[in-house]
Amino acid sequence: MAGVTLSRIVKAYGSLEVVHGIDLDVKEREFVVLVGPSGCGKSTTLRMIAGLEEITGGELSIDGRYVNRVAPKDRDVAMVFQNYALYPHLNVAENMAFGLRIRRTPKAEIKKAIAETAEILGLTEYLHRRPADLSGGQRQRVAMGRAIVRHPKVFLFDEPLSNLDAKLRTQMRAEIKRLHNRLNATSIYVTHDQVEAMTLADRIVVMNDGIIEQIGAPMELFNNPANTFVAGFLGSPPMNQMKGQLTENGAKIGGAEIKVDGMVGNHIGRDVIVGVRPEHAVLKAGKDTSVLPIDLDLVEPLGSEALLHAHHGEDNMVFKAETKGDIGHLSGVSEVHVPASLVKIFDAESGRALDLGA
Amino acid sequence: MPKTMAKELSSEQVIEKPSEAIKNDALTRTIDHFKREWQIYLMLLPTIIWFVVFLYKPMYGLQIAFKDYSIFKGVANSPWVGFEHFETLFTNDQFLRAVQNTIEISALNLLFGFPAPIILALMFNEILHASYKRTAQTIVYLPHFISSVIIAGIVITAFSPSAGIVNTVMGWLGLDPIYFLTQPEWFRPIFVGTGIWQEAGFGSIVFLAAIAGVNPSLYESAVVDGANRWQMMWRITIPSIMPTILIMLIIRIGNIMEVSFELVILLYQPSTYSTADVVNTWVYRQGLQSGQYDLAAAAGLFNAVVAFVLVIVANTLSRRLSRTSLW
Ligand SMILES: Nc1ncnc2c1ncn2[C@@H]1O[C@H](COP(=O)(O)OP(=O)(O)O)[C@@H](O)[C@H]1O
Ligand SMILES: [Mg+2]
Repeated sequence: MAGVTLSRIVKAYGSLEVVHGIDLDVKEREFVVLVGPSGCGKSTTLRMIAGLEEITGGELSIDGRYVNRVAPKDRDVAMVFQNYALYPHLNVAENMAFGLRIRRTPKAEIKKAIAETAEILGLTEYLHRRPADLSGGQRQRVAMGRAIVRHPKVFLFDEPLSNLDAKLRTQMRAEIKRLHNRLNATSIYVTHDQVEAMTLADRIVVMNDGIIEQIGAPMELFNNPANTFVAGFLGSPPMNQMKGQLTENGAKIGGAEIKVDGMVGNHIGRDVIVGVRPEHAVLKAGKDTSVLPIDLDLVEPLGSEALLHAHHGEDNMVFKAETKGDIGHLSGVSEVHVPASLVKIFDAESGRALDLGA
Repeated sequence: MPKTMAKELSSEQVIEKPSEAIKNDALTRTIDHFKREWQIYLMLLPTIIWFVVFLYKPMYGLQIAFKDYSIFKGVANSPWVGFEHFETLFTNDQFLRAVQNTIEISALNLLFGFPAPIILALMFNEILHASYKRTAQTIVYLPHFISSVIIAGIVITAFSPSAGIVNTVMGWLGLDPIYFLTQPEWFRPIFVGTGIWQEAGFGSIVFLAAIAGVNPSLYESAVVDGANRWQMMWRITIPSIMPTILIMLIIRIGNIMEVSFELVILLYQPSTYSTADVVNTWVYRQGLQSGQYDLAAAAGLFNAVVAFVLVIVANTLSRRLSRTSLW
């Protein structure tokens, strides 16, 4: 097992730079998830680590070795592709054996490795089937099996679950997590799905437009987003963001004023973005809450809870409320109560979180 | 909308006359289908007309293979003679020789001519420099667009004993000139070679298209697994285009009896008939030059039946062995 270090990694296609010098230190046995909107450079970054894309600038090392110019096969990484990349003319066992046979591993050893891996992945019965005769989930497992049999230093995953339907995705997500707990292999996992990122990652790397917005443990990013992008990306629905101004007592949002923890004093008059998570606002006044009047647009029942779509001035927002089996009582909602300790304040201009020393 | 109306209509009728109602239902469905898809059938029409005019209508004349045909009596009025012409054919040394030549030349064509475009396509696929690749492809496609008459002219000139480049080069090496095109043993290599030169490049397009259709992440996955280009060619490219190769092979086997007739006519001469005369050229000489239309028709029919059987056999084998077939 080994760590992966990216320092000031740049990727340009011709004159178009798509990754703008990113730094990342993936530790041994760590499961790191690169997450970000489509087109932000996640795959490109992963493919540079795999050696499928040339690195335009910066340094990449795997297991402490500088590998910018090392061929993919000599980096000792294994990659799982979004479309599985299974060889249609080979059966499951042959697909899994491909990498080992290329490396001229002895037959007996290959057989043993495949039997073990198939056991782990529940593929033992399917070893003689062709990919065409497998379900999506099984194909995905074969793709992972092909990586696992090689015992690589680093596993790379590029959106491995995005071709599966929602239910299977949830199931496979749990399976990947279990697998990682068992194999304890260094893994870098790319996805655009923040739920996958939150559930799988030891650490999440939020990317946007070729840069890293924030790196941290899932709950750390959730609780303390470094900027409005991260705040708006993680969580479902993501954090509400409202334009406001800091005052002596807190923040003014349109006609309302809400209390904010911390020393606002130094920043009075500053234009800010006030962030409130949908699940943090409550319908009844509590300790240290302030009132935020809203105009309710729509109530979406989800079952045990409902989403309240509303606006306040020009800012649209979404709140979560318990249904208690009925949404009738939610249609009259005209205000929510915001606890001061859970309000986030971002600088309006830079989007960065303000440290109020709370 | 019309669909539901048709359903309601038929369900009413079901109560009265069940069997007719079902028939009507099928009929309305067919009519609906044509109403919806008539443009597609319209587009199919020219092809059907072409087939009828050029392939099915002439089949009427095929009956002369079983008749003592005379131009004056016409196809319909000539008397039937059964399999007499076929008996004549199979006791005719020249015809039997033509059959044997056809099979032997086809076998050579298959052996050397069939792999040539595949190998070319694989080679093109390994060229990374785009403009070099395009130039090379254009050059090998070119002979396909040149008429066989000109191709034959070039070949005859190149192999001519007096001015030909081949004999000139041999002269530099101190070898005696060879009268290539008059010698039976040289006909087949020259013929097969010419065919490859003419068609291999163009034939490679099909395989290049098949290669282009291979999922690129198969190669990426293989690269990460440590495969080199040679291994990728053998373990990914070739297996991936195998269905295309098999389909092309079936078509090729179906055409075994169709040795490129015009090229033979253009390149052979009486002194090389012993290795060069194929069924089609023999039919041409008997039919058009000697006026034995009935015998020629019998030979042509024999050719077609053999070809038909070959296609079916090849297709069945391919379906059994590789789940790939034309139909
Ligand atoms: N081969 C290429 N040539 C030019 N631009 C590319 C190429 N591959 C990717 N890009 C661009 O790089 C950016 C990042 O792509 P990618 O890493 O695939 O994004 P994602 O985060 O969705 O995986 C995109 O804007 C994409 O258009
Ligand atoms: Mg991607």
